[in-house]
Amino acid sequence: MKRVATIILNRNLPEITNALCEHLVKYDSALTDVYVVEAGSDSNRLSKYATWHAESPEVMTNGLRYGRGMNYGLIQLLKEEKFAQYDAFFLLANDTEFKDVSTLAPLVDLLDRHPRIGILSPCSQRWGERLLLEKEKTKYFWFIHNNAYLLRREFIESVCDKENPDIMDFLFDGTNFRGYGSESELIAKAYANDWAAAITTVVWASENESHLLEYADQIKTQGYEENLQLYIAEGRRWMRKKYGFNSHWSMQQYVKSFYDKFFEFHPEYSQYKV
Amino acid sequence: MIHQRLQSFLQKRHCTLLGVGPMSVNCVDATIELANEHEVPVLMIASRRQIDSEDFGGGYVNNWTTQEFARYVTDRDKKGKILLARDHGGPWQSIKENQEKLGLRRAMDSAKSSYRADIDAGFQVLHIDPSIDIHGQPDVDEVLDRVFDLYDFCWTHAQQSRKEVIFEVGTEEQSGSTNSQEELDYTLNAIKKFCTQNKIPQPTFVVIQCGTRVMEMRNVGSFDSPVRVANEIPAEIQLPKMIEICNRHGILMKEHNTDYLSDEALQWHPRLGIHAANVAPEFGVAESTALINILESNGLEKLAERFLHIAYESKKWDKWMIDGTTASDRDRSLIAGHYVFSTPMCRELKVEAGKLLAKKGYDLEQYLKEQVKQSILRYFRNFRLTRTV
Repeated sequence: MKRVATIILNRNLPEITNALCEHLVKYDSALTDVYVVEAGSDSNRLSKYATWHAESPEVMTNGLRYGRGMNYGLIQLLKEEKFAQYDAFFLLANDTEFKDVSTLAPLVDLLDRHPRIGILSPCSQRWGERLLLEKEKTKYFWFIHNNAYLLRREFIESVCDKENPDIMDFLFDGTNFRGYGSESELIAKAYANDWAAAITTVVWASENESHLLEYADQIKTQGYEENLQLYIAEGRRWMRKKYGFNSHWSMQQYVKSFYDKFFEFHPEYSQYKV
Repeated sequence: MIHQRLQSFLQKRHCTLLGVGPMSVNCVDATIELANEHEVPVLMIASRRQIDSEDFGGGYVNNWTTQEFARYVTDRDKKGKILLARDHGGPWQSIKENQEKLGLRRAMDSAKSSYRADIDAGFQVLHIDPSIDIHGQPDVDEVLDRVFDLYDFCWTHAQQSRKEVIFEVGTEEQSGSTNSQEELDYTLNAIKKFCTQNKIPQPTFVVIQCGTRVMEMRNVGSFDSPVRVANEIPAEIQLPKMIEICNRHGILMKEHNTDYLSDEALQWHPRLGIHAANVAPEFGVAESTALINILESNGLEKLAERFLHIAYESKKWDKWMIDGTTASDRDRSLIAGHYVFSTPMCRELKVEAGKLLAKKGYDLEQYLKEQVKQSILRYFRNFRLTRTV
């Protein structure tokens, strides 16, 4: 039985999604099943690996984005009674790129060796964090800005809404549509529940932003600049409404307080503290 | 005394201290007036290109020598609120040392002679920065050796002259990347050891790269960026760690290149525990912009064009431009404006403009000073240096 369910989010970029699926099949098929959420893709722009097609009028118009899209995929697995069979879920935007080696084997190995890691993110060679991961290749962070996370099932179970699963709030808060600040909220939930969030350089991943720059029309989304402005404006409104935070720095302090507390109770992991 | 005074002010106010680059006479006047009006200590941070001793031909700011500049400031600083500070002192930090391609020993001697003039003139804060070497890239230990040499020289000369000085250390600037925690810890430990062995006071400030970087007329670092800046550690991670290290060493953390950050980012400086922050080109650009605005809004477009032309031709904008920039010639002129304020052509232009504007009831220099004051006041407000405006 495969230990990981990989969920890939696609909207009208079948070639890019297919390439990512094929990469995972080639290098990680022993470890993962691959599921593709079509987030309002046109019927002629579906990935050949499409698993589920969210095609309500609202989704066809606006898409799902990372938060709602991953909630959708996870809920589908719950409905199909597959959720419990996996140890972890690898949540990927379709613009994620990996090296030509197995990505998941080292990540799963890390989850096994670090029993309190709930969120694991491969580092990118473009991130400054790699400088903090030279001696120790894996460390626990209070801030991770990424679109490729491996989440341990037990962590998800400790914070998700299993009783009333809905794409708006199963794991990610779907009211924050584009997701600015969402990863911080998830990390806070992790540390608040005794789970750590780690970055590792054992494997590398990168986000190919050129797809959004080049194919915004096909994705049926706003261009890069407009999307960025909306991402921030919506995220700030969400942060203010939900938490009363007027700045992302408040969110950072909130997350870091849980982070510091984690190490008070887990001094055995102090070598992984940033 | 100076160190304790600053510490005590910081503790009482929970504020961030401001370092202002003396970009022009109006900027210097504006800073003195605000520091005195609001009774807050302000560091006036002069680079060697802005102000230097007579041996180096002065600097581009009003062609002042160190002595003249210090005299000008201290004469006007009635309440003694300004701390005269040397920003980035050290070898090859002056144009002359670069042009003459001095070797290490002569460049160090030259830097010492500049520091000597600073101390004699009454500078109270000395930033020891020997990170530049036009002949190669010195490693951390080589840089530290130069720090110790300059530190010892300055301290000894200050003692002999019965002058009080405090020190700022920190060996990187605008690198875009980050000094690592290990590097900072190593540097601070080494300096501490040197100071203890030589019975010299520890430095008051250390420069930390906080994710701030100025290009053109904006801050392009990670501090204020909602998205990743390639190869930089996000400020959300970098800052708390660096502050933790500074606090452990009992040294105040100073941020450079703070210009153009948003109000929100600035308001978080005191809360995050950033003890001091330097701002410079923003105030120069504020004055150039104000000059162009008042000229253009009073039918003096030709004078505005002349100023823009002089500034553009200086090419002083060059080092501030982003690769593949889309900045207009006007933007470039505004970036370079303060470098040419003291040139004969610009002085002449301002006299002419001053006369024409006076007929319309404007005092040009007063107007420019007020505009720079507004720009500085943004930092006063956000850094909790004043609660009354």
